[in-house]
Amino acid sequence: MASQTMNSSMQPTDVYGGDEVSAIVLDPGYTSVRAGFAGEEVPKSFVSAHYGQIGDQLIFGDNEIHNYKPGMEIRNPMGKDGVVEDWDVATKLFEYSITSRLTRFPQSDPRSNGLNDDPKDADVEMDAVEEQEKTLEEHPLLMTETAWSTTKSREKSIEIAMENWGCPAFWLARNSVLAAFASGKATALVVDVGASNVSVISIHDGLILKKSIQKSPLAGNWLSSQLRSLFGSVEPKVDLVPHFMVRSKTPVDAGAPAQAIYREFKIPPTASFRALEEDRVLTEFKESVIQVWPGPGRLSSGTGPGSTNEDVARSQPGRVFEMPDGANQMWGLERFKVGEGMWDEKAALPVAGEIPPTKAQTIPEMIKASLGGVDMDLRPTLLQNVVVTGGTSLISGFNDRLNAELTVLYPGARIKIQAAGLTSERRFGSWIGGSILGSLGTFHQMWISKKEYDEFGANVVEKRCK
Amino acid sequence: MTSHDVRDMLDLPGSAAPRPAKKQKLAGPRPNLKGLAREVQSLGGDNPIAIVPEISIFKKRRLASRKPAAKWELKPFKNSAREDDLVLRHWKRKAELPPAPVEENVETAPVEEEMEDSTFAKFNVKVNTPKYDDEQYRSRLESDDWTKDETDYLIGLVQEYDLRWPIIWDRYDYQPPVPALDEGEGSIAIVPATKTRSMEDMKARYYKIAATMMAIHNPVQFMGQAEFSLHEMMNNFDAKQETKRKQFAELNFRRSREEAKEEESLLLELKRILARNDKLTEERKELYARLEAPISSGNLGLYSTSTGLQQLLQQLMTVDKSKKRKSIMGMEGMSPAVVGQGNSQQTSGSGDRRESSNHRESVPSSTAPNNKKGPQAAGNERRKLTEEEERVYGVSHHDRLPGGPQFRHEKIQKPITSKSSVQQQKINNVLAELEVPIRLVMPTADVGVQFEQLLSAINTLLDGRKVADKLTSEIALATEQKRLREEKEKENKEAGGAEGGAEVKVEEEREKSAAPSVKAGSVHKRSASVLSTVSDKSTKRQKK
Ligand SMILES: Nc1ncnc2c1ncn2[C@@H]1O[C@H](COP(=O)(O)OP(=O)(O)OP(=O)(O)O)[C@@H](O)[C@H]1O
Ligand SMILES: [Mg+2]
Repeated sequence: MASQTMNSSMQPTDVYGGDEVSAIVLDPGYTSVRAGFAGEEVPKSFVSAHYGQIGDQLIFGDNEIHNYKPGMEIRNPMGKDGVVEDWDVATKLFEYSITSRLTRFPQSDPRSNGLNDDPKDADVEMDAVEEQEKTLEEHPLLMTETAWSTTKSREKSIEIAMENWGCPAFWLARNSVLAAFASGKATALVVDVGASNVSVISIHDGLILKKSIQKSPLAGNWLSSQLRSLFGSVEPKVDLVPHFMVRSKTPVDAGAPAQAIYREFKIPPTASFRALEEDRVLTEFKESVIQVWPGPGRLSSGTGPGSTNEDVARSQPGRVFEMPDGANQMWGLERFKVGEGMWDEKAALPVAGEIPPTKAQTIPEMIKASLGGVDMDLRPTLLQNVVVTGGTSLISGFNDRLNAELTVLYPGARIKIQAAGLTSERRFGSWIGGSILGSLGTFHQMWISKKEYDEFGANVVEKRCK
Repeated sequence: MTSHDVRDMLDLPGSAAPRPAKKQKLAGPRPNLKGLAREVQSLGGDNPIAIVPEISIFKKRRLASRKPAAKWELKPFKNSAREDDLVLRHWKRKAELPPAPVEENVETAPVEEEMEDSTFAKFNVKVNTPKYDDEQYRSRLESDDWTKDETDYLIGLVQEYDLRWPIIWDRYDYQPPVPALDEGEGSIAIVPATKTRSMEDMKARYYKIAATMMAIHNPVQFMGQAEFSLHEMMNNFDAKQETKRKQFAELNFRRSREEAKEEESLLLELKRILARNDKLTEERKELYARLEAPISSGNLGLYSTSTGLQQLLQQLMTVDKSKKRKSIMGMEGMSPAVVGQGNSQQTSGSGDRRESSNHRESVPSSTAPNNKKGPQAAGNERRKLTEEEERVYGVSHHDRLPGGPQFRHEKIQKPITSKSSVQQQKINNVLAELEVPIRLVMPTADVGVQFEQLLSAINTLLDGRKVADKLTSEIALATEQKRLREEKEKENKEAGGAEGGAEVKVEEEREKSAAPSVKAGSVHKRSASVLSTVSDKSTKRQKK
């Protein structure tokens, strides 16, 4: 026993792939920014991608943005397709996510560590930052990006890493590739169901196949809007009251109106703040109530004369959800209906002001299209290496349904779905992959160094990170 | 492990300290237990159950080793696989310097400063893509379909993506160079349409170039085995066939549920058929083993007809009654059940057996009972053979069979067995020389025909040899006579001159021209070579 555990004073003698150079991995997504040291298991820093803004002051971090502050607007630097839109804020947000937990930079200065923030200090803080040594002078940075990110945004990332943060080396990796790495695969069909997008991408030997990139918006945010639509359509209507509105509540029977005392605000919270807080309730609801019809067949497909899977679903035990204001009720068949639109566009609940999803946006169709865009010889391999990642894939029944749909689509093929069992591994799939990649000894030769950046300019990412 | 051992190990003084009085605790007043624990205790009534609380003891803290902690340092290093000299830093154990007295030697300092190279640099391997110059391209690599520019682009991609074709195909995006605008005449017409290239196109082009360049650098005749086979493989790449294969694969991939099911059931069926086939060959082997045995015991011709077999059965039955069955078994090396089965099959005649075995392949359920039914019942179930199958099974139709049904293997043997034993021996010798087994391994109809041809050829050969032998002896006789006559003539010459000399010479000449090739050796050789082609064919058949 004792001989097997590695002693800290020994070095591994055989060839062991890791060789850590204290690289930092940064994985921005629509809901959160994940950052941490390469070689670790989970990101040390997990920061909401939403930020608060009051006037000129920007507020980052979950501790701050979920507190009511008069006049605070909630924004997100990420665009609807998961690509950075507002680079100025994104730079600060990323910097915050790195420096608040990982490197030593601002903690030494009480004026800039975010704890003593006061609107009138704002300009002082900015000056202070300027004088600091660069954030990441000692750490190579591995950043992730979506498969569809634009050249401009790629060039911008290296620019910021090199110029603003002073990284000695930089790399830009596709998050789907990293998710595959996290599952131990270099060739895989990655189904990433995040917040803003579902993407299905074929990966061969660690490189994405561009002709196979499929994405659609039927992901976590869309599910939330389905939920809102559901809450509006049931009788009686469900009032979505976020936690911060409720001062105290008394338990009530299922279906009874809520009895709660609400907080009053002199300056009412902004709509964006309320929406953010409502979304948190919806996420809870998604985590605990929603279920995907696991198959076989669709929810609407028949099981016999006059009966469909809906009847089967209806007969399954319901789940109770209590709203922050105490109102609670049992959810039966409805909890199956919310997620059905991801698989069957006809089953999507209508949402006012939203274009109903098309067939091509459903997950089975995307997989079909993605596989259609790769070489024939690769397809069976890909189907045997289906990697599922992203937060929304955690809704219960998702993997069963995916498997059922795939067996219908490809009855002759062998299908194997790889989905991490641990919640954290599923949500942080692409970060974990980055952590693996960034700590590999063979990766040292890949980094784009500062020198190369100076020599070839920002366009070097296009040439190197393919 | 006793405490003594522990003390020993820890180098503590012997059993100086008294052992902790642990047991006292148990003897003491029982604690006021609550809940389930009390219930459990009370189960024991007056004799309390001895429940010894198990105290989980964590591993003792490791004794601080006397050595000072190993020193690690953040060490910068380079990677020679990189083209720039990026310096990264990682934690390494500090090399322990020998505690030699440090002299103030300046020269040792720079040695220490030399930066270590990454141990991973050696994993940096690249594929070698063919390189050609303009001249070589013009003379050897021109193609109607590919411009030099596009070829360059392809080779570049192959190098960039390390020959990973799915990626090369995926990223292939060739933009032909925009023709110089200064000519200004109908520039729209000049712009060539970008072709969509299939992966097979690309592969074909690349392999062609790679093979050609390989041959240029190292002509085919000087290539090593591995090189040559690579060259051949690349040269023989067939894009059309590849495309077709992929189409098939795609069809297979796209099959519907029903088709998949059908395939599955067909595969099952195939498995069953193969299993049955195995059983059949097994049975056939047994049968051969049985057929082998009697040949040593003499004449088999007696049993080659169904009536003969009937007699044999009768005979065996009577032997059976008188003797123990075991004796037969011992002779044939078979289990009694098998013997019995074999007999019943033999009685039903060879033709019938063959049909029933045919039959078994298609209808698994009815195996043995078929034999016992009348020929009519068997005939009803009999499948009509197609022409092809008839050929395969060697079925032929006769109005009448002279001599009744026979084993083919007997029939084949007949031309040999009917000969005298001397002749038989001769035939066998020839066969042995040709390495054709006397008993054919697989006496199909075709092989039988070939074998017959072979036998007749052997007969011709033997006849030829006989004639040759006769002629040789005649020649020998003639020469002997001549010699004698010459001797006589010599005597005559000595006596009376050289009148008859010319005459003798003429006669000698005539003899030679009459049988120029009748020298026994040459005849034998030639007919053997003719024979060998025939036998080659027949052995090939047998292997099939
Ligand atoms: N247990 C859960 N069940 C259902 N949904 C969940 C669960 N946990 C998280 N989610 C949802 O997953 C989404 C976040 O997933 P993830 O972190 O993968 O997205 P992201 O990477 O930030 O976004 P994107 O990939 O679109 O840029 C949110 O919409 C959240 O509501
Ligand atoms: Mg994501």
